[in-house]
Amino acid sequence: MRLIVSILCALPMVAQPGGQAPDLRGVYQSIPDRMTLPGGLKNVGAPAAIELLPEAARQTRNVDLKSDPWKICQPVGPFRMMAKEHTKIELVQVSAMIVMLFEDLSHGMMRNIYLKRGHPARLEETWLGDSVGRWEGDTLVVDTVGFNDKTWLNEEGAQHSDALHLTERIHPVLRGQFLEYRMTAVDPRVLAKPYSYTRYYRRLDTEVMDDVCQDEP
Amino acid sequence: MRNVLSPTLVVSLGFGLASVLAQAQAPPDWTGYYTLAPNRELAPAGFKQDAPGEQLNDLIIPHLQPWAKARMEATDGIADDTGQVCLPDGIFRYPSMAGRFVWLQEPGRIVMAFGNINTAGVRRIYLDRPHPKNPIPSWNGHSVGRWDGNTLIVDTVGFNDKSWLFGGMEPHTEEAHLMERARRVANGAFVELNITVEDRHALNSPYSYNRYYKKQPDGAEMPEDVCAEDPDTWKQFRNEALKKQQSRLRQLK
Repeated sequence: MRLIVSILCALPMVAQPGGQAPDLRGVYQSIPDRMTLPGGLKNVGAPAAIELLPEAARQTRNVDLKSDPWKICQPVGPFRMMAKEHTKIELVQVSAMIVMLFEDLSHGMMRNIYLKRGHPARLEETWLGDSVGRWEGDTLVVDTVGFNDKTWLNEEGAQHSDALHLTERIHPVLRGQFLEYRMTAVDPRVLAKPYSYTRYYRRLDTEVMDDVCQDEP
Repeated sequence: MRNVLSPTLVVSLGFGLASVLAQAQAPPDWTGYYTLAPNRELAPAGFKQDAPGEQLNDLIIPHLQPWAKARMEATDGIADDTGQVCLPDGIFRYPSMAGRFVWLQEPGRIVMAFGNINTAGVRRIYLDRPHPKNPIPSWNGHSVGRWDGNTLIVDTVGFNDKSWLFGGMEPHTEEAHLMERARRVANGAFVELNITVEDRHALNSPYSYNRYYKKQPDGAEMPEDVCAEDPDTWKQFRNEALKKQQSRLRQLK
């Protein structure tokens, strides 16, 4: 009996081999694609490389690239925003959520990642979707659904449906000086298969300033 | 006869004192989602919003220096109102305009993220440290704060001069200085924000007013709000603004 109790008590430790969740608070910036970090760590993949279903590919060819949300100071959604070079984010951690603030607020906005709830049964569609997070060891796993269909998947004009589902895995590497960030997108109505890319974000010792989006008149 | 304190009593007193001191030093945690409190809810507790809504203009205007008043009178609602074209409104307008925010409290810092995130932005209040010597002028300025008991005292400088003090488009300069005192009132039901603005180049004297916010229940979430939601509408505003600004420039020539 005592053995069973011991095993049950030990189970959470097995589920979280890294022990306590790391403190991710701080300012980070994505590194350029040409940069290689110690250990050969490099950005991999890009939103331009997604593989579209034939119908979605046909629609993309008819999209007016001037209406790109990026060009008119609208939010571009996490899938594009997190892939861009030099994207600056700030992670603020309080008990029930982690808030991701983008220096470029117009395009990135503020993402609330709720840690103590699942997705609501009835989701209101939004630009940034509904994000919930959980810790797997020292990795923060963020699950996002509930997108409207106003953002694009890339600057080539690939659209997505409201079935878009993003999974992000974020964990510190190189003694906490970088975050390894892996994004996976699934959209059975648009993508021929799930697509993943990896980015590295460098920790910065800086304050985040105002950054104002002014579109081209 | 001398009183002799037993070692147990001394230890207990010691722990008790340490605990009282720790409580006195630990700042209160106000993390949560707040919205502007309506006067009908404040009235039973004996509080009220000073100069609510557009009335705040009436409170500010008598303090303006003549040039600032003339500048205000020369503005154009569409051409000059930054928020209309999804540019920031600046920090001075947030207490009334951005009627909701998330208060995120971390050790050494408080972050206020406003509901109208495109126009009110994010505000970072650094605790127990001075302003940098020459802060880069910005829309929301540079804020530092300290707890005085249960009151948070916030000091903000380092503004650009692109925003207005309020919706009447009352100007300020880069010398503007925002002083705030925040405390919980009515048994913690509301946060009272006492706001004082001084600007020796734009105001004859400082002005002050109170704003009250209500903490929403735990678990309440601030909804997403995108300023450029409908690009056609705001592009129309922006183009009209540009047209008016250009015609004003032509008149000046």
